[in-house]
Amino acid sequence: MKAARKVIMVKVQVKTILKMTVNGEPVEVAVDPTWTLLRVIREELGLTGTKEGCGIGDCGACTVLMEGKPVNSCLVLALQAEGKEVRTVEGLGTEENLDPLQESFIKYGAVQCGFCTPGMLISARALLDKNPHPTTEEIKVAISGNLCRCTGYVKIIQAIQQAAQQG
Amino acid sequence: MQSYEYYAPRSLPEALEYLAENTGNCRIIAGGTDLIPALRKEDIHPAHLLNILEIVEARGISETGETVRIGAITTFNDLADSELIRKEFPLLAEMALLVGGPQTRNRGTIGGNISSAAPAADGLPVLLSLDAELELSSRRGKRSLPLNEAITKAWTPAWDDDEMITAIKVNKLPPGTRTKFYKLARRKALARSRMTISLILRSGSGGEIEELRFVPGSVMPVPRRMEEVEKLLTGKVPTDELLDRAARAVGEEMVKVTGIRWSTGYKKPVLGNLFRIVLRQLITAG
Repeated sequence: MKAARKVIMVKVQVKTILKMTVNGEPVEVAVDPTWTLLRVIREELGLTGTKEGCGIGDCGACTVLMEGKPVNSCLVLALQAEGKEVRTVEGLGTEENLDPLQESFIKYGAVQCGFCTPGMLISARALLDKNPHPTTEEIKVAISGNLCRCTGYVKIIQAIQQAAQQG
Repeated sequence: MQSYEYYAPRSLPEALEYLAENTGNCRIIAGGTDLIPALRKEDIHPAHLLNILEIVEARGISETGETVRIGAITTFNDLADSELIRKEFPLLAEMALLVGGPQTRNRGTIGGNISSAAPAADGLPVLLSLDAELELSSRRGKRSLPLNEAITKAWTPAWDDDEMITAIKVNKLPPGTRTKFYKLARRKALARSRMTISLILRSGSGGEIEELRFVPGSVMPVPRRMEEVEKLLTGKVPTDELLDRAARAVGEEMVKVTGIRWSTGYKKPVLGNLFRIVLRQLITAG
């Protein structure tokens, strides 16, 4: 009897309340099991830096770090982030104290319309955290899941190279 | 998206119990890279969703003697990063690094790739060339099923609804074996395979082919070893003339399965030529 009750409690808990860490802060949100992590980040937490592009994992605009790894937040169910550490573009730097990658993107004009930029920054951050001095080829692979339709890849790659040299 | 009940147990027995109780209207979710788009498009309408990503028994890569056990929820990036996989089955790591993009490789799992059973699934041809076996678990117990019996129809696993893959088991290859995975696609990344070649080769001291295993991917509804082509080459020294004959046989074997389609004029010669190019690379690499 006791064991059965425990199982039901677990089900109810994961169905309704999501606990995770976002940009270093613990958060608790009541979520519907059909929501994606992207929806919770944007609409429940108001962190609209993360963008929704295609919604099916092809464009990378919704990229966030989950347990330090880049993932498409449109392809993660919100409840799958239970207990996990999530980092969005808002967690990279502040307006007064930008991440070196953000400084570099500005310096190199690696931004045109800006829609892919948060995802690009997150993928680049994941790369530099793992590999502080990547080759051009490694940079290309790291951002190969992020589409830029303004065709600004050259400047983005230069910006990441420059940020890596400074760090 | 539609509504469903979501359950994320931490132990295998709890998962198997849930699966058995909800047979027929429960879908298993792991990385979600196939399932979430399908839910979004309302191609599927499960009443229950079972997340298996927290199940320890389905995680990790380990070896016991000559067998390597790959947990079903091992992601493509886990495969590519694994020292053991890179050493024992380099073609599996090569394949993993060519799937999708970094974000999808961090989520998509090898068990999910098999279960979706897509004709263009890259994990299937590689694991078929390795003669992999599935470890299937259910409330009734555990059993092994050879992969070539597990998927006999596109998009349709042949195991029972109350079973799930907990691991993939692969035997190590004999010393001196060389392997290669080649992918032809429209782009370098985020691209579905148009054709793939999975090859395993062991040559004898006289240059003759001792063992050859070949599985083409993405060209047939369900990938399988091309045993006719393997037999044509096994025990023989691969002369240019023999390789030409084998390349033609590859195209012919494909057409026997697919029939003539609009794309056959392209695929038939290209698949044969790719086979010959990759096999020649493997032969000269040793």
